[in-house]
Amino acid sequence: MSIQNLNTFDPFADAIKGADDDVQDGLVHIRIQQRNGRKTLTTVQGLSSEYDLKKIVRACKKEFACNGTVIEHPEYGEVLQLQGDQRENICQWLTKSGLAKPDQLKVHGF
Amino acid sequence: MADNEDSVFDPSLLKKKKKKKTTAFDMDAAMAEGSPADASDNTDKENTEPASNVDNMDMDDLESFGKKKKKKKKAFNLEELDSALPTDTTADEPSEPLQEDMVDDSFDYDMDFSKTKKKKKKKKDLDDLVAEDENEKAAEKENAMDGMNDNESDIQSWGGSDRDYTYDELLKRVFEIMHDKNPEMVAGKKQKFVMRPPQVVRIGTKKTSFANFTEICKTLHRQPKHLLDFLLAELGTSGSVDGNSQLIIKGRFQQKQIENVLRRYIKEYVTCHTCRSPDTILQKDTRLFFLQCETCGSRCSVASIKSGFQAVTGKRAAIRAKTT
Repeated sequence: MSIQNLNTFDPFADAIKGADDDVQDGLVHIRIQQRNGRKTLTTVQGLSSEYDLKKIVRACKKEFACNGTVIEHPEYGEVLQLQGDQRENICQWLTKSGLAKPDQLKVHGF
Repeated sequence: MADNEDSVFDPSLLKKKKKKKTTAFDMDAAMAEGSPADASDNTDKENTEPASNVDNMDMDDLESFGKKKKKKKKAFNLEELDSALPTDTTADEPSEPLQEDMVDDSFDYDMDFSKTKKKKKKKKDLDDLVAEDENEKAAEKENAMDGMNDNESDIQSWGGSDRDYTYDELLKRVFEIMHDKNPEMVAGKKQKFVMRPPQVVRIGTKKTSFANFTEICKTLHRQPKHLLDFLLAELGTSGSVDGNSQLIIKGRFQQKQIENVLRRYIKEYVTCHTCRSPDTILQKDTRLFFLQCETCGSRCSVASIKSGFQAVTGKRAAIRAKTT
């Protein structure tokens, strides 16, 4: 019979595990902008730079059947830009694919 | 958000919603005429409403009477069913009151605009066609059932049966007793935050006017500039306050959309994050905004207003011409 107290226990095991499955830190801001007429743009700002945004945008374009691009911004880093109101779509997709947690998403706009 | 809830709880509303869309603008216009006209309008429309209610109609309208009541009623029916069948397991019971609670929560949180009122009216009108006297009875019942009474009937629903109490029921009961004993308690009793709905009118095709902008700033006790910053950052547009103190926003926006943004503003910058009382002061301290609560004395920092990344939506050629 083993004595439980003598087992080696790493108190930081949780911390290490928490760090590496959580690449995304900080909020992901999802905004909407009105263009001319009924047209809108959706911007996704704050995705971790460790993600390959180009791949993400490629997947999004296919998934939502819209066009999109990655824009380099000196202050905000790489920003996803999608055509149309994709706020709900992108929220669902980001959580489903595990890129961001629901509490990290912040949806702006009306 | 509210609409979603509606469709979940009250499938029969769908029809009315469509109807509402067509008349929504007229309603707003009527509202814009001013409160006396409003009151008379109401009395015309709802003859079934008891006369005692007319004088405080304006206040009542802004509260989410109709909607909440409808939901409550539905809940009653369910619970009555449950009590009728005492052998019914508690499988769906715990989820049910919880749901109700959630609804309550969200409703108290976001203040109620007149949208809810419109729905109520619509319902009344339809009911008129069906059965007038029944409606009258229902209206009286609604008035009687205001406030705590619905909780009482909740208790009655499980008082007689010998099944186990669920946690939610007991929790509800404890809170109810607390309210009864000290009604002036703030933390438990959810205060209604009543305010006038924003009057949003389109100007031409590209601009939107938010007519009672300063009035709303006053009711919220916030600087117009702060609310303006938030609105513009959140909507991702530009705009300004014009001579007759109305806000002109670039882009097309509907009242509902502005309401949503206002709700978010109130949640973040007006209601206390601890006790949710709207009695707060927003003060700037070393480039950060702090929310000081007058009721519970808590003080916490609030998010700064950032518009974030703004994509180019105008004509690029024009922008280039401007910069060079």
